[in-house]
Amino acid sequence: MRRRLDARRITQYGVVVVVAVTLNFLLPRLMPGNPLVLIAGVDVGLLSPDERAEIVARVGLDAPLWKQYLRYWGDIVTGDFGYSFRSSRPIVDMIMERLPWTLLITGLSLIVSAVAGVILGAISAWRRGTKADLGMLSGMISIESLPSFWLGMLLISVFAIQWGVLPSSHAVTPASGLEGWAHTWDIISHAILPVATLSILATPGVYMTMRYSMLETLGEDYIRTARAKGAGERRVLFGHVARNTIAPVVTVLALRLGFAFGGTVIIETVFTYPGLGRLVFEAVSGRDYPVMQAAFLVFTAAVLVTNLVADLLYPLIDPRTRTS
Amino acid sequence: MTTATVAGPRRPSRDAAAGANLLDIENLAVRFDLPTETIRAVSGVSLTVAPSETFALVGESGSGKSVSMLSVMGLLPSPPATVSGSIRLEGREVIGMPARELRRFRGRDVAMVFQEPMSSLNPVHRVGRQIGESLRIHRGFSKAEARRRAIELLDRVGIPSAASRVDNYPHEFSGGMRQRAMIAMALACEPKLLIADEPTTALDVTVQAQIVDLVREVQDEYRLAVVWITHDLGVVAEIADRVAVMYAGRIAEIGPAHEIYRSTRHPYTSGLLRSIPRLDRPVTTRLAEIPGSPLRVAEQLRGCPFDARCPLVGEGCSETLPELEEVGPGRHGSACIHHHEMGADSDLWSEGSVTGEQAVSGQDGDVVVSVKGLRVHFPVVRGLGRSRSVAIRAVDGVDLDVRRGQTIGVVGESGCGKTTLGRALVALVRPTAGTIDINGVPIDHRSGRHRRVVQMIFQDPFSAMNPGMRVGDVIAEPLRIHRLGTADEIRERVSELLTQVGLPPDAARRHPHEFSGGQRQRIAVARALAADPEVIICDEPVSSLDVSVQAQVVNLLADIQAATGMAFVFIAHDLAVVRHVSHEVAVMYLGEIVERAPRDRIYEAPLHPYTKALLAAVPAPEPGVMSTRSAKLEGDLPSPADPPPGCRFHTRCPVAVEGLCSTVKPELVEVTPGRWVSCHLAVKPG
Repeated sequence: MRRRLDARRITQYGVVVVVAVTLNFLLPRLMPGNPLVLIAGVDVGLLSPDERAEIVARVGLDAPLWKQYLRYWGDIVTGDFGYSFRSSRPIVDMIMERLPWTLLITGLSLIVSAVAGVILGAISAWRRGTKADLGMLSGMISIESLPSFWLGMLLISVFAIQWGVLPSSHAVTPASGLEGWAHTWDIISHAILPVATLSILATPGVYMTMRYSMLETLGEDYIRTARAKGAGERRVLFGHVARNTIAPVVTVLALRLGFAFGGTVIIETVFTYPGLGRLVFEAVSGRDYPVMQAAFLVFTAAVLVTNLVADLLYPLIDPRTRTS
Repeated sequence: MTTATVAGPRRPSRDAAAGANLLDIENLAVRFDLPTETIRAVSGVSLTVAPSETFALVGESGSGKSVSMLSVMGLLPSPPATVSGSIRLEGREVIGMPARELRRFRGRDVAMVFQEPMSSLNPVHRVGRQIGESLRIHRGFSKAEARRRAIELLDRVGIPSAASRVDNYPHEFSGGMRQRAMIAMALACEPKLLIADEPTTALDVTVQAQIVDLVREVQDEYRLAVVWITHDLGVVAEIADRVAVMYAGRIAEIGPAHEIYRSTRHPYTSGLLRSIPRLDRPVTTRLAEIPGSPLRVAEQLRGCPFDARCPLVGEGCSETLPELEEVGPGRHGSACIHHHEMGADSDLWSEGSVTGEQAVSGQDGDVVVSVKGLRVHFPVVRGLGRSRSVAIRAVDGVDLDVRRGQTIGVVGESGCGKTTLGRALVALVRPTAGTIDINGVPIDHRSGRHRRVVQMIFQDPFSAMNPGMRVGDVIAEPLRIHRLGTADEIRERVSELLTQVGLPPDAARRHPHEFSGGQRQRIAVARALAADPEVIICDEPVSSLDVSVQAQVVNLLADIQAATGMAFVFIAHDLAVVRHVSHEVAVMYLGEIVERAPRDRIYEAPLHPYTKALLAAVPAPEPGVMSTRSAKLEGDLPSPADPPPGCRFHTRCPVAVEGLCSTVKPELVEVTPGRWVSCHLAVKPG
């Protein structure tokens, strides 16, 4: 696989951004019925004609389409996503309030699942065909098939309800007034269960990729060359296998993070965790279209950023992808 | 690199040193226990290699030659491999040696060079680091010391400006340079034994000759013993002291090189020698062919593994497992119970009559395909758009006529544009400029209709066929696409085609994976024939096949041409095969035809220095026959994106004239009727 971060690749990123924003702009306007419903909510039918006209003018629905489009871009660039019609708050404030919590649990679970998946996958591949390998493999496949809400509820029932050692919901204890280390521990203890759930669910994907990639590498001719030189197992593993194995894993991790954001919708709902996913869930249940649209853009941006990071890392791992 | 004189008297055989063998293999057996079956890859192999001797281990794929030598290195994965018998290196038993001790041998006393230099080098490490690695392992060199030594070694194996190349990655090296780097890596600890596993097979013929010479040089310098594993008796004829020919995991014949080549005592060796077309023999109507395909041994053998394919098969062959018997001087052994009945090779294998002077003036026969001024450039994608100025000039101004009933051979090094030319003829790539007329009608790139008249056979029959389709559907597809007949008629035609290529009609119901390489290439031929085309483009149709099977496919193509008057464009790097099949030959260099002439003209008296160099690089499969190896070509093919000015060949030409060849581009001119050459020096007499 050859990947290069050059002008071509940057153009691709640009195209994706434009398409995503344009779709976001067009969706409410292409849907059947009055776009006003999608922009201002289903209650619009109850408003008086004057009130409607006022909203139409405020949102700019009376302007020609291209003008609306330009204005939409202007809003996005200046960070104006409009207002939630449920809470009437600026959407950008709502997102900025929720984003840190989602970044916290997805970031932590990414690290945990990456470390666990890479180590277990490497052990599995190194001992391919043994009982340890086959046991781990079937275990991972079983985990992969678990529904995420079910796992979350299982952890809650065991750790929060039966043993009572960890909180089952929220990101902090409400109105506790904790400060300093106590406050930090409060945040950590609330994050443990959601992070554990996300990590457990994400590990099989990393594990499978790692195991497969390493089996591939172990079968390569240059590994035989290394052994022919008299290299010991340790040297073969860390000197020759490791770096060649990790490259595809980086790509998969980047894609996973995109999934992880989507996965937070269910997990944050199960744990009543105040992140972006929960915000999306609330927006969907309340048909708060402007909020959903904004969240969609944030998810898109997150996927793009992680892919960009992977693109930047790739040449450091594989010299063949470096531009001369 | 210095051009060592390789011709000369053979070094004396080192049988005298047999008492102190470097490598002593006795009764080696290797078994692979796979989930579905057990493969007996090697059985009862015994051989010895003396210090500084060159030992050639010859056989087809699956004959057990590589497996034998990998077990010397202890490199076979276990499970599934089980190795038994005895392998002694300087008297020490290798089989059953603890891994730690075995590792001390590897890379220090025994080193190995592999077939694919690209995949055998770690892509993420610098070349110098990989060369120095065994010094760090075995000699405790520091990083700086290892790097310094790596530079010396790279310089020794002929890498120009080694000090700056040492920090390159493998992908920045050309194929030949990579194999040089592999050799440098093997030499690092000054081993006593070098195992070279098909080291030249993946390389161009010109580079092959360079690598053979390099190994010879370092062998003398380092007093190395070399075990050279190969499928090609030609490559090793001039370098081997002793030869062992393996078949189905057993040694068929073993002995001093001159005995093996001149007093062959096993029908299989004889068949291998006869089925290879040779430049130093007259062209015959047919190649000698060994019928069938190589045997894979699963069960314990009862009789001779070669009996089903052997012309000498007789009493006792299928009942007794033949043991090696001493049949000649210098411990010449043969595992054939009928070896005393062997006469001359040519009596054993029928190869048709010698063809006379080919009646080809290059003028007769209707022109089927006419190519004029063909250019195929691939733009190099850089940055935002396509840069018009930078392009790979794969084909750069080619004129060619293909006539009915004739074969035009196209030869040249990899990267010369011969494959792109073939693809353009089938309209798989779009020409940048120029015209291709078929029967006087220009190719229409929008429809595939002209593919009814032009078909193609590809190099690798394994990947060129959809594994999910049945053979019958593979062959019928062109008929269905071009709507040539009803379902019944098509079924009828498929049976006919299968019979024509020598396969049973019931093959139609089976899948491609059930067939051997040679049989699959027959299927590919049947598919190409299906729509009854006028011309078939054969792109390296035999180079991925086993030696004993190549002759079968070459003969099949000849039969088809004789029966149908089909025209062939035969693209290949093997000059001997091209000579055997072609009426006319075109030599390509960097996208241009540099010489084109009737076959016998070009092989007997080549005019262009490049043609001369290509022919000089072909090894003869007989010891001592290497008179023409003087005009050797150095260096690699320049980039087709930036061809040299003037004559494109002047950078590698041994006779280039300063100021003329580097500035003025020679035209392709007809020097005598039917004979074209583009060289300033060849045109002017003297």
